Amino acid sequence: MDKTARLSFRRGDLVSVGLILILIVLCAALFFPRGENAASEVQVYLDGKLVYAYPLYEDRTITLTGVYTNEIEIKDASVRILKSDCPGEDCVHTGWISSAGRSIVCLPNRAEIRITGQPDVDFVVR
Amino acid sequence: MKRIFVILLLFSLFLTGCSEKKEQKQYTATFLTLFDTVTTVIGRDVSEEAFSEKAQKVHDALYDYHVLFDIYNDYESVNNLKTVNDNAGVAPVQVDKKIIDLILDLKKYDEMTHHRVNAAMGSVLSLWHEARQDGINDPENAYLPDENALREAQKHIRFDSVIVDQEKSTVFITDPDLSLDVGAVAKGWAAEKAAEISPEGLLISVGGNVVATGPKDEKGTPWVIGIQDPDSDKYLHTIYLTKGSVVTSGDYQRGYLVNGAYYHHIIDPETLFPARLYRAVTVVCESSSLADALSTALFLLPMDEGQALLDKCNAEAVWIDMEGKIHYSPAFQKLIRT
Repeated sequence: MDKTARLSFRRGDLVSVGLILILIVLCAALFFPRGENAASEVQVYLDGKLVYAYPLYEDRTITLTGVYTNEIEIKDASVRILKSDCPGEDCVHTGWISSAGRSIVCLPNRAEIRITGQPDVDFVVR
Repeated sequence: MKRIFVILLLFSLFLTGCSEKKEQKQYTATFLTLFDTVTTVIGRDVSEEAFSEKAQKVHDALYDYHVLFDIYNDYESVNNLKTVNDNAGVAPVQVDKKIIDLILDLKKYDEMTHHRVNAAMGSVLSLWHEARQDGINDPENAYLPDENALREAQKHIRFDSVIVDQEKSTVFITDPDLSLDVGAVAKGWAAEKAAEISPEGLLISVGGNVVATGPKDEKGTPWVIGIQDPDSDKYLHTIYLTKGSVVTSGDYQRGYLVNGAYYHHIIDPETLFPARLYRAVTVVCESSSLADALSTALFLLPMDEGQALLDKCNAEAVWIDMEGKIHYSPAFQKLIRT
């Protein structure tokens, strides 16, 4: 086998190598599961509509008013409903949540607070 | 030059190949207006729109049952269970076949559980319902239902008084003081019916009655279900579910406080008070309506009687007793993931 012939590059070869590299990068980008691994967010839904979205890692309180008013607290990467004027206050009794995929619901206020991200389980029965 | 064209052609082919194989993502839809509980639909799809369409169909199927099984509200030009209850001792009521099917199943569950899961005990449950609602709205003055009234109501809970005529599609309650309350089984029953008409690969929960319509993706990946430890924020176990149903009955799910004591919603038809044998019972079985009935029955029964029911129904369960000790049916371990 002729060694020099094997090692010589033509311009077309360089172009094809370049194109293949671009191709690999593009495919990797397309296959990479974006979103699911993104940093967790706290999403607040009222009547099924997304009304707030904040990073889980920024402390704040949110006042959510629908039929009733929920006071939502984000603190130390956890979320809870701190106060509510709904009957029963089941939502307040739910306490803190911090894992991806978990949610707190206030049925009377038709509100859901959800932590986004890839959950460790698909659903929790309780 | 020709070669570059060939390469470009191949490149574009690869590119379209890449983008056509769209990444499926897991989506969740929540509905808060059905059966006075939380309904969740989970599934993988190529876009949120595609998934939402499927979830909406599940919602619409469940909404039909929500209307038909409602015992508190009237709906225009619909005969529902409230209509049937209102006509107790008066006349047979013509109803949708869905109601007939439900009542026939409930009759079976009533017999199978020796009347522990009795949907004809509305007279008793309505007293608890009223006291609970009042207690939730005005906690300072929370009260228990009057025991004499409960005893009186207990005389009117015999399922024999509910007459179903399949041919005429009518239901007639012959005892004017009897009423139907399907709360203990309706959600599981409706979840099962909605699952039957849904595509494969959905996980549907109606107030914790969880049904999987098949694995979550084409590779056959099973769903992972966490069973909540009632005393911590951790899981008791996680289990795999591909097709079939899981449900938990717990003493913490729905209730109210009277003088500092918590009274939950699962009422024993014999004592007429909330059962105090277990903290929670989780049942895994193929049918969601059966799972719902079984979890209520097991919550009320001694463990050996509960196990006898499980054997009959080919179902598995885990009990958490009042001391927090965990008990398993023999084959439950096989379902455990962690």
